[in-house]
Amino acid sequence: MVQTFSVWLHSTRLSWAVAGGVPWIWPLCETLHFMGLALLVGIVGVLDLRMLGMAKGLPIGPMQRLMPFAIVGFTVNMVTGFLFFAGDPFQYIHNVAFAFKLLFIGLAGVNAILFYVTGLYRRVDGVGAGHDAPPAAKLVAALSLFLWVGVMYWGRMLPFIGNAF
Amino acid sequence: MSFLASIENTALATWVRESGSLLAYPAILFLHTVGLGFLVGLNAAIDLRILGAARRLPLAPMESFYRIMWAGFWVNATSGTLLLMADATTKLMNRVFYIKMTFVFLAVLNMVLIRRRVFRDPAIDTARVAGFGRALAVTSLLFWAGAITAGRLMAYFGPVSGAPGLQNKIP
Repeated sequence: MVQTFSVWLHSTRLSWAVAGGVPWIWPLCETLHFMGLALLVGIVGVLDLRMLGMAKGLPIGPMQRLMPFAIVGFTVNMVTGFLFFAGDPFQYIHNVAFAFKLLFIGLAGVNAILFYVTGLYRRVDGVGAGHDAPPAAKLVAALSLFLWVGVMYWGRMLPFIGNAF
Repeated sequence: MSFLASIENTALATWVRESGSLLAYPAILFLHTVGLGFLVGLNAAIDLRILGAARRLPLAPMESFYRIMWAGFWVNATSGTLLLMADATTKLMNRVFYIKMTFVFLAVLNMVLIRRRVFRDPAIDTARVAGFGRALAVTSLLFWAGAITAGRLMAYFGPVSGAPGLQNKIP
């Protein structure tokens, strides 16, 4: 199924354009992918570090109001990431680093969803300046940091452990 | 042998480029990415806050981000030097590299200025950040965006970068 989808995707004009048919698209998407990375990792990272006890002078509630920018970064990276995939699906579908990257993104997503649905989000929202986040939030924060750094690791390993580029 | 070639031929540069170890070129490139994420991401968080995002967030305690931002900077200065040594004859001949360094220099200078002008202002958090501080937040975002763009484009302009098999896609 993945193979069939990839064959179809590769035959589209979009794939042709991204893969070099329109020469600027790939480098432009790479640039946007790294800007998205910085926004996502910087904002999620600093929120995680605060929950773990760094920069305790910051109340966590107002800090969470920066999250929409992290979501913008994530969205930019989903779109540009899909475009890379469309441009050359075959360098990704048999690539073990790509599989791990998707797995880590999925786990980071589950971790974030659990943070919201378990009500931990609301408990943390009330943690003011100088106060500690509950232990459960620290666990979520540590996992989040590990998983997002892991996503960067697997992304960087696409050409080295896998066969991309 | 030229100066650049002699850098590229040192044992360290050769190991980074040719050892095939995951701890060499791949790990150094990974560290360069993590450093970028924290250095630029935290700068962006401060800039966005200065420009009015998350208004209820006090700005003053954000000064502690500087420790992480400097850590990110030094990780990237070190990893960047190693990556540069490994491909000295191509990267140091690449005009885009010098554009990147100019943006990084301006962005770091901007970061220091924000600390002096915004964080050292005794009136911080009593009023909206003044015009000059807001202008610094805008230039910070622009300089970092420029540094990232030039960094990415190094692989597409001029001599090809060190990643094995990478194609130069801009003619």
